[in-house]
Amino acid sequence: MTSARTLDVSDLPPYEISNRAPLWWGQLFMAIIEGCLFCMLLAMYFYARLSVDVWPPPGVPPLKTLMPTLALIPLILSAGGSYIASEGAKKANRRLMLQGLCANIALAAVFLILRFIEWRTFNFSWQSDIHGTFVWSILFLHTFDVIADLLMTAVLIVLLAVGRYGPKQRAGVHVDSVLWYFLVLIWFPLYVAIYWGPHLMRAQ
Amino acid sequence: MNNVIVSGLLLWIAPGAFGPQSALDPAANSARIIAGLMRDFTILLGIIFLIVIGVAVASLMRRHRGIEQEPLERAHLPSPETENRTGRIVGAASVLTTVILLALIAISASAGKAISDRAIPANALTIEVTGNQWWWYVRYLNDDASQIIVTANEIHVPVGRPVMIRGTSQDVIHSFWIPDLSGKRDLIPSRITTEWFQAERPGRFRGQCAEFCGLQHAHMAVWVVAEDEASFEAWRRAQLQDAVEPATPSQQVGQQVFLSTACAMCHSIRGTSAHGQVAPDLTHLASRITIAAGTLPNNRGNLAGWISDPQTIKPGNHMATIPLRSDQLQPLLDYLEILR
Amino acid sequence: MSDTATPPYGLTQESAEADRAALARTWANAKGLLGWLSVTTHQAIGRRYIVTAFVFLLLGGIEALMMRIQLAKPENTFLAPARYNQIFTMHGTTMMFLFAVPVMEGMAVYLVPIMVGTRNVAFPRLNNFGYWMYLFGGIFLYVMALTGAAPDAGWFSYVPLAGPQFSTGKGVDTWAQMITFTEISALCVAVEIIVTVLRMRAPGMSLNRLPLYVWSMLIQAFMVVFAMPAVMIASTVMLLNDRTIGTHFVNPWEGGDPLLYQHVFWFFGHPEVYIIFVPALGFISAILEANSRRSIFGYSAVVLSQVATGFIAFGLWVHHMFATGLPQIGEAYFTAASMMIAVTSGVQIFCWLATMWTGRLRMTAAIHFVFGFIFIFVLGGLTGVMLSSVPLDLQSHDTYFVVAHFHYVLIGGALFPLFGAFHHWFSKITGRMIDEALGKLSFWLLFIGFNVTFFPMHILGLNGMTRRIYTYSADLGWGSANLIATAGAFLIALGGIVFIVNALTSMRGPVNAGEDPWDASTLEWAVPSPPPNYNFVYPPVVSSLTPLWTDPALRTVVTGLRTDRREVLVTGVTEAEPQFRYILPGSSIWPFLAAAGIMIGFCGSVFAFSWYFVASVLGGIGFVGWFWPRRPVEVAP
Repeated sequence: MTSARTLDVSDLPPYEISNRAPLWWGQLFMAIIEGCLFCMLLAMYFYARLSVDVWPPPGVPPLKTLMPTLALIPLILSAGGSYIASEGAKKANRRLMLQGLCANIALAAVFLILRFIEWRTFNFSWQSDIHGTFVWSILFLHTFDVIADLLMTAVLIVLLAVGRYGPKQRAGVHVDSVLWYFLVLIWFPLYVAIYWGPHLMRAQ
Repeated sequence: MNNVIVSGLLLWIAPGAFGPQSALDPAANSARIIAGLMRDFTILLGIIFLIVIGVAVASLMRRHRGIEQEPLERAHLPSPETENRTGRIVGAASVLTTVILLALIAISASAGKAISDRAIPANALTIEVTGNQWWWYVRYLNDDASQIIVTANEIHVPVGRPVMIRGTSQDVIHSFWIPDLSGKRDLIPSRITTEWFQAERPGRFRGQCAEFCGLQHAHMAVWVVAEDEASFEAWRRAQLQDAVEPATPSQQVGQQVFLSTACAMCHSIRGTSAHGQVAPDLTHLASRITIAAGTLPNNRGNLAGWISDPQTIKPGNHMATIPLRSDQLQPLLDYLEILR
Repeated sequence: MSDTATPPYGLTQESAEADRAALARTWANAKGLLGWLSVTTHQAIGRRYIVTAFVFLLLGGIEALMMRIQLAKPENTFLAPARYNQIFTMHGTTMMFLFAVPVMEGMAVYLVPIMVGTRNVAFPRLNNFGYWMYLFGGIFLYVMALTGAAPDAGWFSYVPLAGPQFSTGKGVDTWAQMITFTEISALCVAVEIIVTVLRMRAPGMSLNRLPLYVWSMLIQAFMVVFAMPAVMIASTVMLLNDRTIGTHFVNPWEGGDPLLYQHVFWFFGHPEVYIIFVPALGFISAILEANSRRSIFGYSAVVLSQVATGFIAFGLWVHHMFATGLPQIGEAYFTAASMMIAVTSGVQIFCWLATMWTGRLRMTAAIHFVFGFIFIFVLGGLTGVMLSSVPLDLQSHDTYFVVAHFHYVLIGGALFPLFGAFHHWFSKITGRMIDEALGKLSFWLLFIGFNVTFFPMHILGLNGMTRRIYTYSADLGWGSANLIATAGAFLIALGGIVFIVNALTSMRGPVNAGEDPWDASTLEWAVPSPPPNYNFVYPPVVSSLTPLWTDPALRTVVTGLRTDRREVLVTGVTEAEPQFRYILPGSSIWPFLAAAGIMIGFCGSVFAFSWYFVASVLGGIGFVGWFWPRRPVEVAP
C-alpha cells in the first residue's frame, strides 16, 4: 500500500541439486510412506506369528536362508551404483551418472534373478496358510517397488544416453538414489524377520 | 436414585425411559457399578461444560465494554499485565483439567477392576453363548455332562449368584449385551471372550446384538430372566428333560410333520430324531417368551406366521420357507405348543 | 505488499505494471477442455476439491435423511433392510472419505501457499493428479453403488462380515478400492503441504512466525503420512486380497485374526478423525484472530498442544476395541491416553477463550460458527472422556450414545469450523462478500437442528438402542426420541439449504470485497480477492507473527524472481532464509492421464488381481510422459 523495501534474489541460483531441493524432500516423504507400509506389515507378521505355537505352520519347512543371504551382495553393491550416479548428478558429470545407473540396474537385476530363483523353491502360496500369506505379501510388495524403481532408472538411463537431460533430469537421478537406498535399507528388517525369525523364535 | 432424577428430567425426550433394555435401570452388580460411574462422570463433566460455555458467553457479553477496555488497535495485544494474568488463569485451568482427568482415570480403573473377570466369585454359573446369524446358541456348562443344558435365545439366571458368560461366534462378530445387567462383550469367531455379572433382583431383561452382523442385525435379541433360586432350579430341571411326547393324535401328526420335513434338518428336539445343529434347539420352545431371537412374542399366531413365511418377518434370515398345508401346519403348532 | 498503488521502493510504476502483466501471462491457465484438465495452479485445484467435497456432503446428507426417515417410527418400511445397510455404509463412507478429509485438503491447498507467502504448492502436477484420484474414487464408488454393488458392511467393514464368506458381490471390494483412491489423494496433498510449508515460506517467516492454521495443516499432513498407509493395508492388502485372491490375513478359519483387521484399521481410523479435526482447529485460530482484533493468546501453547494431539492420536486406537476382551493392562493404558488427549484439546480451548475474553469480538457469521464449535465440540469431547472409561464404554459402545458422541465431535469440531471458514474466506476466494444475515440464520438453523437431532441419541443409546439397526419395535420406547431426531435432521437440511442459497446469491454480487475486509493479520489478506494465479507480484518478506498488523513502512518484498517462467523462492527450514530459486511446471495433461490409467486398473482390480498390472503399465506411461523433458532442457540463470 505504501513504499516498502526490497530484497533482491536474482543472484540466487535457479535450482539446486542437493538434499535441500523440494524434489528430494518429496522423494524422502514417499520413502517414509512406503516405510510405514512395510513397518505395519512387519508388525502384523509378528502379531500373526506370536498368536500360534508353531511357525511356519506344520507342513512348511523354514525358509532356506542361503539364496536370500547371497542376494544381499548385489543389493548392497547396487546401492553403491546409486551413490555414484547421484554424485555425478550433483557434479553434472554425465559419464558418472550413466556408469552409476547402469551398475545399479545391472546389480539390481542380479538381485531380482536370485530372488525369482528362490521363489521357485517355495512349496507354499499366499493361499496356503497365514505364513504363506504374509511371506508372499511382503516379498511381492518389496519386489514391486524394486521393479518400479528399476523402470524409473531405465528411463533415466535412456534420457542420459540420448543426451536429453538438463538440471531437472539430474535432480531426478539424484532423488532416485533416495528411493533406492530406502528399498535396500527396508529389506534388512524384512529379511531378518522372514528368514531368520522362525529360527530365532523357535522356542516359542 | 440420581439415575431416576436425570432420566426423569429427560422424560420428555424418552417417555419409555425405562424400557426393558436400559443401562440406566441396573439389575445386576456390573450394570449398577457402571450406572453409578456414569452418574459421577455426567455430573463432573457437566459442571466443566457449563463453566466453559459460561466463559464463552461471558466473553461475548463483554465485547462492547467501553472505557475499561484496553486499546488494542495499534499493538493488537493487551498489556503485559493482562497477558500474564491471563496466562496464569489458563495455566491453572489446564492443571485443573489434568488433575480432574487423572481422578477420572482412577475411579474408572477402580470400577473396571470391580467388574473384571478377576473379581468373579468362585461359585459362578458358566453359560456359553455362541453368536450366529441371527440367533444365540446357549449352553449351560457343567463338569457333569448329564447336567449340560442346550437352548437358544433365552437365558435364565439365579438372582444372587455370579454368572460367567463365555462367548464365541460361529460366523461373524456379534456382541452380547444385556444393558440392565452388564456391559457388552463381543463374540468373535475362533476366540473366546468372557464377562460376568450377578443379578440383584428378579425380572425379565432384554438384550440385543450390538455388533453389526448383517442383514438382520436389528432382529437378534435375547431375553435374560433373573429369578430366585427355587424358580431357577425348577426351570433348570425342566430344561434337562427330553421333549414332551405328543399325546393327542393331532400332536402326533404334528411331530411327524416336523420330523419328515426340512425342519429336522436344521433344528433339534431332544428325544426325537431331529438333531439339526444349525438352528435353535426347540426342545423347550414353548417355554420361551419370544421366537425368532426376540422378534415376536411366542404365541400360536406368531408361530404360525413365522413358520409359514419367515422371510417376510425377518428378510434374509437363514430359515427356509417350507410350504405347509393347513392340515400340516395346525397339528405342527399343536405339537410345538406342548414343548415346555 | 499489495500490488496496487505505490510500487515498492526502487521500482517504477511502469516496471511494476510490466511485472504484473508478465506474471499474468506466465501463470495463466491453459484454455479449453484440455486446459481445464491440465490446470496446475493451486487456487483452481483447491476450489475443485472444495466444490467436489461439497457435492459429496450433500449426497451423504441425503443418505442421512433417508436413514432418519426410516428410523422416525418403529417398524417403518421406508427402507428394506438390505437397502438400509447400504445407505448407512454409504453415509459413513461418503462423509469420512469423500467429504471430510478432501474438504480439509482442499482448503489447505487453496490457503496454505498464500499464507506462507509463495505462489503455488511445491509439486503442482502432483496436486492436479491427487485431485483426479479423489474425483475418480468418488465416482467409482457411486457408479458401483448405483449399479447394484453398494458396500453394506459399515464404513469400517469389519471382518468376517465383510470377508468373502459373508459379503458376496462387489460392494465391499468397491469400498476397499475406493479407499485407495482417496488415500493416494490425501497423501499427495500431505506431501505437498509439508514440502511447501518447510521449504517455500516467505523470507523471515521462521517457524515461530508460522500462522496457526499453517501449523495445523503441517501437523495434519504428518499425521496423514503416518496414518494413511495403515488403511491401505487394512482395506486393500488384507480385506481385498482375502476376498479376491484367497489370502488369509484375517480369515479366522485359516489362522488369520479378525482382530488384526480392527487393530490395523483403527490405527488409521483414530488418527483419521484427528486428521479431520486438526485443520478445523486452525480455522478457529484464524477466524478468532481476525475477529477479536488481537493475536491468538498463547501461540506456543496452542502449537505445542496440537503437536501433542497429533502424537497422542496415534496411541488411542484400542479404545474402539474395548468390548473385544483385550488384556486389562493394555486397556488401562488406552484409557489414560484417551483421557489425556482431552488436556491438549482443553489447553487450546482455554487459549481461545482467553483470546475472546481479552480481545474485542466482532460478531460476524464466522464467529457464530466458532461459538457453535465451542458448544458442540466441548460437549462431544466430554462424552468422549466418558467413552474412554472402559466400564462406561462397555455400555455405550456400538449404541446411539457413540453415534451422538462422534457426531458432536465431528460436526462440532470440524463442520462448524468449516462453515465458519467458508464465511470467513468466501470474500477471498470469490471476491464478493457473503451475506452476513443469511449466514447467521444458517448458523442458528444448523445449531438448533444439530442439537435436536443428536442430543436425544445419548439417551437412546443408554436406553439400549444399538447402532446400525434398520428398525426397532414399538414396545422399546424409542419412538418419540427418534421422531424428534428426525425432525432435527430436517432442520439441519434447512440450514444447509440456506447456506447454499446464501453462497449462490452472494456469488451474483459485485466483486468488491477488497483485499482485506476483516482487517486480518495473515498474508492471504494481502492479495487481491480473488487472488491472481501468481498470488503476489512481489512476494512478501515477513518480520512478525502478524504481518499485516505491522507498520507498512517497515515492510519488505522480494524482487528478482523471473516473470517469464513460474519461479518461486526456496528458503530454510527453521529461519526461512532465502536459499535458491525453484522453477515450477506449467499446465500439463499428464497427471490427468496417469490418474485415468491408474483408475482403469484399480477399477478392474476389484474383479481380478491382474488389473493391478494394467494400472502399473498405464500409470507408468503417464508418469513417463509427466517427467519427460521438454525443450529447452537447460535452465537460464
